[in-house]
Amino acid sequence: MSVVSLRTRVMLGAALWSLGLFVMAGHLSTAMMIHYPRTPFILHGIFAHAVLSSVVAVLCMILGFWQVKTGLSALHDLRSRLGGVRAGRERQIAGRYPAEVQPLVTDLNALLDHNERAVSRAVAKAGDLAHGLKTPLAVLSHEAERARVEGHHELAETIAEQVERMRRQMDYHLAQARAAASGATPGARCSVIASAEGLSRTLLRLHAGHGLAIDVRVAPDHTVRSHREDLDEMLGNLLDNACTWAKSRVAVESSVNGAGVVITVDDDGPGLDASMREAVLQRGVRADQIAPGSGLGLAIVRDLAELYGGSIALSDSPFGGLRARLQLPAC
Amino acid sequence: MRVLVVEDEALLAQQLASALGEAGYAVDCAADGERADFLGQTERYDAVVLDLGLPKVDGLTILRRWRDAGLAVPVLVLTARGSWHEKVQGIDGGADDYVAKPFRIEEVLARLRALIRRASGQLTPELRCGALALDPRAAKVTLNGAAVRLTSHEFRVLSYLMHHRGRVVSQTELTEHIYAQSADRDSNTVEVFIARLRRKLGASFIETVRGLGYRIVEPNE
Repeated sequence: MSVVSLRTRVMLGAALWSLGLFVMAGHLSTAMMIHYPRTPFILHGIFAHAVLSSVVAVLCMILGFWQVKTGLSALHDLRSRLGGVRAGRERQIAGRYPAEVQPLVTDLNALLDHNERAVSRAVAKAGDLAHGLKTPLAVLSHEAERARVEGHHELAETIAEQVERMRRQMDYHLAQARAAASGATPGARCSVIASAEGLSRTLLRLHAGHGLAIDVRVAPDHTVRSHREDLDEMLGNLLDNACTWAKSRVAVESSVNGAGVVITVDDDGPGLDASMREAVLQRGVRADQIAPGSGLGLAIVRDLAELYGGSIALSDSPFGGLRARLQLPAC
Repeated sequence: MRVLVVEDEALLAQQLASALGEAGYAVDCAADGERADFLGQTERYDAVVLDLGLPKVDGLTILRRWRDAGLAVPVLVLTARGSWHEKVQGIDGGADDYVAKPFRIEEVLARLRALIRRASGQLTPELRCGALALDPRAAKVTLNGAAVRLTSHEFRVLSYLMHHRGRVVSQTELTEHIYAQSADRDSNTVEVFIARLRRKLGASFIETVRGLGYRIVEPNE
């Protein structure tokens, strides 16, 4: 069966239907004219008024066309709602639809629901796998330390190095799995200030003793289209990086531009050479080998930001250190 | 100094316990949430190493219970879940520091020392009292620069007194902080340890406050 536009088929159907009616009417009126000679006068009495006839005819045709158009608009509406789900604005297809379309919508919603649950189950499994491996890795890494104490330096070094590589691989791929799933589960919305303040409290505690001050200047109404976990992960990595390098000051600010919300993180540390900036955003490249934990952080931020249709850029900070500029779509 | 290690993976718990023991701490272990909660609420610890993923009751719930009950003991959280969202939840739940698995035991030891030091208001890593110096990093005591050999119990008594210098520490309090839960306790042994410490360090560093307990003091030259 060839695929023809639904509207063409409906209009064609209506036209054929009308043709059938026309033929039947012609046959009946002809038959009546033969049996009852007065018939033409009666018909003339009904249809003689040219203006009235034309108005009724055109009106009927317009109303018919309008009926078809309204009926089919449900499909157009469905399409735009589905687009909203894909873009992450909605989780399900809302609204009431004509009887022929409603079962389809119900099934689609069930499918979306199933998909969402399957994705989050898969991510939970990936998480369980990573977490299940980390405790044995901690045991291994301690055994390596013991081997080092007993004089097996090379063995200890190899184990420690490989354990660290495995840890970084797991963190990276787990973040990736989480991020991919976040992209697949729509309807996310998150307040920037809630995330920034929580992280600021946490980092002040974790970096206690460095004498750091974190200045949070974020408007309470700035929200981005992201899951809280993912915004925490992006901002957490940026702020942790800033706190690791800062001498005394870190600031996080937000502003709104045409493309969404811009979050900047500044520090007064040594900064980063322009030639290194692109490199540290690449997966697996570290700007340093000294400060621990700064490994894949920025690469994770970049991947997450891009997944949400945002971006990350590094530049000089007015404080003298590094500025990270995270752009995310607004809600 | 007495530490509670809450970790359900037996091998890791044992590694932590032995490393902490070598560093001069009295160590208790709990392998599940209920036991950890009970020990934390009934015994006196100077710090807790708490794994978040535990059987029966999870670590974060225990931590919140302790904080709600007004327990201020410093808590170092261990977890396999290294995401920032979870770190924020942990710190907001009352954790003082955070180490992600897999970790190096040295890192846990260093963070634990820093937590205990901050909780007792000490600013420098090395604790000094005149010519007497105690370095928790190496579990070493020196007098006028010369190393003093102490048994683990003597070290714990001295370490506790020096972390709380400036105040009188009762015999009961000392007993609570130098023995693991499994050990036989006898508060008379504290007197024995104090006597041995005085013999090794000189009588004037530890003052007896009659009826109240002991206090570390800088001897007048």
